[in-house]
Amino acid sequence: MLTLLIRRVVRLAVVLVGVTLITFSILHVSGDPVSLIMPEAPEADRAALRVAMGFNDPLPLQFTRFLANTVRGNFGNSFFHRAPALPLVLERMPTTLLLSICAMALSLALAIPLGIITAIRRASLLDWGATLIVFLGTSMPVFWTGIMLILLFAVQLRVLPVSGWESWAALVLPTITLATFSTPLLLRIVRSSMLEVINLDYVRTARAKGVSEWFVICRHALINAALPLVTVAGLQFGLLLTGAIITETVFAVPGMGRLIVGAIRQLDFPIVQAGVFVFAMIIVVVNFTVDLLYIYLNPQIRVR
Amino acid sequence: MKRWALPALVLTLVLSLPPSLHAQAKDTLTVALVSHAPTMDPHMHFERVGILVNINMFDSLLHRNTKLEFEPSIATSWKALSDTQWEFKIRKGVRFHNGEVLTPEDVKYSFDRVIDQTKKSPQYGNIRAIKEVKVVNADTVHIITDKPFPLLLERLVFFPIVPKKHIEAVGDQAFGSTSPVGTGPWKFVEWKRDQYIKLEAFDQHWRGKPAFKHLVFRAIPEVATQVAEIKTGGVDLMRNVSADLLPEFKTHPQAYISSTPILRVHYMALDMRSAPFDKRPARQAANYAIDKGTVIQKLMAGLGTQTATVVQPLAFGFDPSVKPYPYDAKKAKELLAQAGYPNGVDITLHSAFVEFRPVFEALCQMLTEVGIRTTPKMWDPGPAWNKFFQTEGKATNGYYGSWGNYSVFDADAVLHPLYHTEPGGWVGKWYTRVEGLDKLIDEARSSVDQPKRKKVYSQIQTMIREEAPSIFLFTQYDTLAISKKVQYAARGDEWLWLYDAKPVGR
Repeated sequence: MLTLLIRRVVRLAVVLVGVTLITFSILHVSGDPVSLIMPEAPEADRAALRVAMGFNDPLPLQFTRFLANTVRGNFGNSFFHRAPALPLVLERMPTTLLLSICAMALSLALAIPLGIITAIRRASLLDWGATLIVFLGTSMPVFWTGIMLILLFAVQLRVLPVSGWESWAALVLPTITLATFSTPLLLRIVRSSMLEVINLDYVRTARAKGVSEWFVICRHALINAALPLVTVAGLQFGLLLTGAIITETVFAVPGMGRLIVGAIRQLDFPIVQAGVFVFAMIIVVVNFTVDLLYIYLNPQIRVR
Repeated sequence: MKRWALPALVLTLVLSLPPSLHAQAKDTLTVALVSHAPTMDPHMHFERVGILVNINMFDSLLHRNTKLEFEPSIATSWKALSDTQWEFKIRKGVRFHNGEVLTPEDVKYSFDRVIDQTKKSPQYGNIRAIKEVKVVNADTVHIITDKPFPLLLERLVFFPIVPKKHIEAVGDQAFGSTSPVGTGPWKFVEWKRDQYIKLEAFDQHWRGKPAFKHLVFRAIPEVATQVAEIKTGGVDLMRNVSADLLPEFKTHPQAYISSTPILRVHYMALDMRSAPFDKRPARQAANYAIDKGTVIQKLMAGLGTQTATVVQPLAFGFDPSVKPYPYDAKKAKELLAQAGYPNGVDITLHSAFVEFRPVFEALCQMLTEVGIRTTPKMWDPGPAWNKFFQTEGKATNGYYGSWGNYSVFDADAVLHPLYHTEPGGWVGKWYTRVEGLDKLIDEARSSVDQPKRKKVYSQIQTMIREEAPSIFLFTQYDTLAISKKVQYAARGDEWLWLYDAKPVGR
């Protein structure tokens, strides 16, 4: 149990160093930030900025410095905002997390019951309908879904605001948009793992004992079918965060993703680096939680 | 069916939510911007989206009316005392939003904080020619420049006057985020980054109260979303409506389009250091190859004006006697043969001008048709500049872009960055090699004798039309979509001077 935890923590550290190394190098290869910060400035001013920012030092030195600062949570000042980068990112984190969690909750609320029903009533009209929805959901790009939802609910029906983040109603469309992206796969997983367990001996035994069908499904079948669901949901959460980047732009949601997209356009290194770091951190933490859930759900792992 | 209860409940809840927010109060004007500037401090950024907010909160010494003529603002009158000294009379009784009266000391302080290099204002370059600002008496200020500076008045149109005492009390940081104070028509209420900036009418503004009590600038990055907002009344005004959206607005019941030529000129900069554009006939051929009229009609919904050079009608120094290159494919082929390419030539052109990608591709196709076989290369806006300019020699035959003149209505604002070869220059130092051009640009720049400058600019326009260091194209229009509840018109300087916006009676 303890070794398991230690192994996970070590893996976490390795992943984070890897992530910082990748962001650091990609950004430095892609261009000269100085000419972007001051496109029209005389060369002397640019040279001064280059020295001040340390862009003249060899890359390994720049990276070591960067890594040491990262450990202290210091990503430097945003070139654009002229303020420390990490707080700017963290300030927007709750928005992105709220959006992703709502979308995940909606996905699960749809995928679990639908998955169970379609598994039990295989080849029914409902099953076919669900397959169609899965097909549509996976084929539609997030930004397109978002704009279509805006046109339908905000422009045509006028029941929801187009964009913004000033009321709870504003949360609805982005959540649905993100959920259309994550629900189909989860639904598929619930359905197929339910199909796998539903005809196993122990389920039949439970039925034979005269336990109610509802109880058999929820207490016996679902718990065992939940393992793959947990894995996939964990992975999906990471995808939701990246999906949130697009969703935030379409719906003008003041989250982390939008901040990072803007920063990439402006070659605002510190924000991009802090942002990617925080994203990676969230994903690692989610995966860690998934591992813990596994241990809870599957006693075999605890024993091993 | 019990198991349907939950989804049904969720659905009902979603559909029954109150139609929020779009029903706006009539005294509120909401503007969509793609983003917010990093600060409210009008001296500490140089972002268009920030300037548009700042001008409604702060006044500068001068203002420009809708005909783009200088108009008194904080300064009631001005005159040049010599080539390097200007006198400004300061308006009396102008109040800041905190109730304090504006004095010449505030004017001096405003300039000093940008000239002070430790403050690192990105606007320092605009006014670096200013050596000193002197308070002469209670209503007079002298501005002294280190050399003749013909662009001074242009630069003063956006140079907000800020309150000295207030900033010294709250500090630069707070002034830029939570307590900006100016003398403009609206005062600051609240700023939520990436969401909205809320302003409220300032009762004691010297021009009188503005028509709208509340002014809101929302940050909405996606154009399609802005369009949906304007259709539902969530936003009253949006900028940069693209040509493909215009038909939709022509018949729209709730919004209309206002469009006007602006100080932004499109051009294809040609790399004169290497073949084929080191030869003048090749550059002229490229100019004859472009059917500008068709591009404007078919790809820009008619919203563009052909230009003879990069100097355009709105700018000081424009010479209408210099005519645009006509479209003449035959002549282009002849000139190309004359340049030594009877069988044509292969080149690569670059662009990071994402919004005008179709135009870029059409231009490249037109060049290909006369034998300048062009491979178009599209780049992401960020790191692209380096690739165009700094890769010496190969594959940098030129690039397509536009120049906004930083809203300075003077030929210098486009000629110097595009064609002057001094090391501090922008495009010119990489691409342009026209003998004698640097000298003429310098000559026009170092005089405040306007008739003399005009003559030099005529000379320059004749010269570059002949030498063709670029493919000269057209000017762009600024196109706004505006709610029918609001009466307003687009301006040639791309400003949103919302003091002129009026509610339409209902």
